[in-house]
Amino acid sequence: MNRIIILTPLIILLIICIFSLAYLVSGKDPHKPPSALLNKDVPSFESSSLYDSKEIINTIDIKNKKTLINFFASWCSPCKIEHPLFFEIRKKHPELYLLGFNHKDPSSDAKKYLEDDGNPYDFVGVDADGLIALEFGVFGLPETYLINEDGKIIFKFMGPITKDVLKNEIEPLL
Amino acid sequence: MSSLIGFLSLVFAIGINLYLLISKYLFKIKNKRFKLFVRLSSLLTLLSFFSLMCAYVVSDFSNYNVFQNSHSNKPMIYKISGTWGNHEGSMLLWLSILSIYSFFFSFIKNIEDNFQRLTLNIQAFLHILFGLFIVLTSNPFLVNSLFVEEGLGLNPILQDPGLAVHPPILYAGYVGYSIVFSIAIAGLFHNKDDEWLYIAKRWSLISWTFLTGGIALGSYWAYYELGWGGWWFWDPVENISLMPWIAGLALVHSLMMVRGEQALKRWIIFLSILCFSLSVFGTFLVRSGILTSVHSFAADASRGLFILLIFFIVTGFGFLVFLLKEPKKSNPLNLLFINKVSALVINNILMVIATLTILLGTIYPIIIEVLNNKRISVGGPYFNSTVIPIMIPGFLLMSIAPVLSWQTNKIKDSKKYALGFIILSVAVLIQSYFLDFNTWGFVGLLLGFWIITASTIAILSSYKIKFSIKFFQIINPHIAHIGVGLAIIGITCSSVFKNELDFNLNEGDEFNVIGKKVLFEKIETTNEINFQALRGKFLFDIEKNRLNQIEAGKNYYPVSKMITSEAGILHQWNRDIYFILGDQKDNEWFVKVLINPFVSFIWLGVLIMVVSGLIGVTRR
Repeated sequence: MNRIIILTPLIILLIICIFSLAYLVSGKDPHKPPSALLNKDVPSFESSSLYDSKEIINTIDIKNKKTLINFFASWCSPCKIEHPLFFEIRKKHPELYLLGFNHKDPSSDAKKYLEDDGNPYDFVGVDADGLIALEFGVFGLPETYLINEDGKIIFKFMGPITKDVLKNEIEPLL
Repeated sequence: MSSLIGFLSLVFAIGINLYLLISKYLFKIKNKRFKLFVRLSSLLTLLSFFSLMCAYVVSDFSNYNVFQNSHSNKPMIYKISGTWGNHEGSMLLWLSILSIYSFFFSFIKNIEDNFQRLTLNIQAFLHILFGLFIVLTSNPFLVNSLFVEEGLGLNPILQDPGLAVHPPILYAGYVGYSIVFSIAIAGLFHNKDDEWLYIAKRWSLISWTFLTGGIALGSYWAYYELGWGGWWFWDPVENISLMPWIAGLALVHSLMMVRGEQALKRWIIFLSILCFSLSVFGTFLVRSGILTSVHSFAADASRGLFILLIFFIVTGFGFLVFLLKEPKKSNPLNLLFINKVSALVINNILMVIATLTILLGTIYPIIIEVLNNKRISVGGPYFNSTVIPIMIPGFLLMSIAPVLSWQTNKIKDSKKYALGFIILSVAVLIQSYFLDFNTWGFVGLLLGFWIITASTIAILSSYKIKFSIKFFQIINPHIAHIGVGLAIIGITCSSVFKNELDFNLNEGDEFNVIGKKVLFEKIETTNEINFQALRGKFLFDIEKNRLNQIEAGKNYYPVSKMITSEAGILHQWNRDIYFILGDQKDNEWFVKVLINPFVSFIWLGVLIMVVSGLIGVTRR
């Protein structure tokens, strides 16, 4: 009995270590939380273009085409890091529709940002009050979603995407 | 250059520790030389740390770590604190503090040489583990491959004087448990006498005092910097610091009470291992990036794995030794229905249960995510409804524990205490009846006042009052408990009786806060060295002549493009009036005013605990 009591801390230690190890090696990453939206329909949204407020995009417009949705802002420095990759995606996968949502940004800043660093998006939607991000469950910028032809979210990534993520996780889905 | 010196001295220090570890078996060096090497390794580690600091001070952006975390525009104090405001630097600080503890421990006289050497060997072992961790996964001396003239800046939220000193003090607490751990393990191996218990007492009290100060500073920072009006959020990182704190509290008390009892000795060793394990586990959770908060700098799986390995080795080693070796047989435990020893045992059990409850709440989300692939968060409601009720009987017991007897069930002057408790209960009941009765409010206030009253009765009836240092050393435990009582009153009032008011205001508007007229004077923007400040100026209590100006607003940091909220707080002895400036809409500013009663009691209580901890360290 006494031995068992003394063994308890070792057993607890083992359990904690096994779960922590499982967490670490499973590739789970706080940057990539399991999304409740994964494999679900894309939330309905409607947004006007950054360049022409009369031009509207909504959920129906992206039906029947593979769409990569990226939430970005001019004030977000990690967005700057991933930005050039979208040009690469555009070049390699011209069939993929690139939709950028400009998140809580003054439109002048957003325009200047896309002027300086270039605009890789097919459409830049305005999400000035962050409501669309809320629908998507965005944790922080940047966040990227891949939507298939049926309008289901098949991939989500938090933080700047990298070449590895593009090659190993996004491209196999294209 | 300084980076090179820093890296080399770090590696040399690890080498020396390796030498120290194997010296016993291979080189047979003399004790005196052994200690000299310990000190040399400590100095080299400190040299490494100060080299990094030097790179920060001169804004040497050829160091990748400095480039990532500093900016030449930053005020000097934040350049210095930037040294530990990032993962790599903070781990180097961790190692430096470990070295400082070994350094001082090597100077202790009047202890058995073999025991001292064994303790220092275990410290050397820890040094190697953490040193390798830094060199292999978190090297702060990497060279920047780009030529740059400017750095990327330090997270603005960390640019705060409170936060500049919070990490070193907190680490002094965490890492202090390393020496307690080493002493306990050495005590198990070197099973000759109980001398190690008295040595461990002082070091565990030092660690606990630092930990208390560090947690309080972090909490105080959260209170005025985060702008949420609260000072404790049951954030995982706070829980991580609370676990070794509670376990450390149990350890300090057990060490005070132990008189060679076999069961207590085992228990003390268990707690010593537990405290340091929890510190390392906390480091793992934060540094692996499993928990995301203001404290997790970067997520990197290799770092996580490495620290998990260290945690496994250290804790596994500790508990394995604990399992295999038994302390020397000696006195049995003198347990009675209610005497000092039984009170201690009950309190210890409660504290360990509280620690485990917090541990469960903290790792539960990890377990669930591994099993279910769902992310959940365990927050305030769980901890409030589990940890607090577990702690309450402990607090109740604490008020009378110092006056309990060792040998009998009798409490000296028990009538006085009973009378005091009854009068107090009635008084608090009447007071809470007039102030919207609230169960938690009633329990908390009664508990706080009871602890203070009982401790005061104990001081007055047991000792002759003198104003000498010795007298304060004798009544020190009671003073510490009065500090706890004050903190409980502060915690209860500020959480149960707080009030929140919302306003939409134009400049020049007057409004009422707790019956006092307040004028929203104006909005001002100014340019500071490294940020732009927006401030709303308020005049409190304009009808009386005692004008109090309060400034609340936001800072915008252009380098990192971040906005931080700066709360304006008017401190009064019985309440804090806490102003938060929100956004502007249609020319009106949203202003939130929180009235937090008796917050100052929390800080005063903690201060008393820290001071009495320091007095305890000086007592033989």
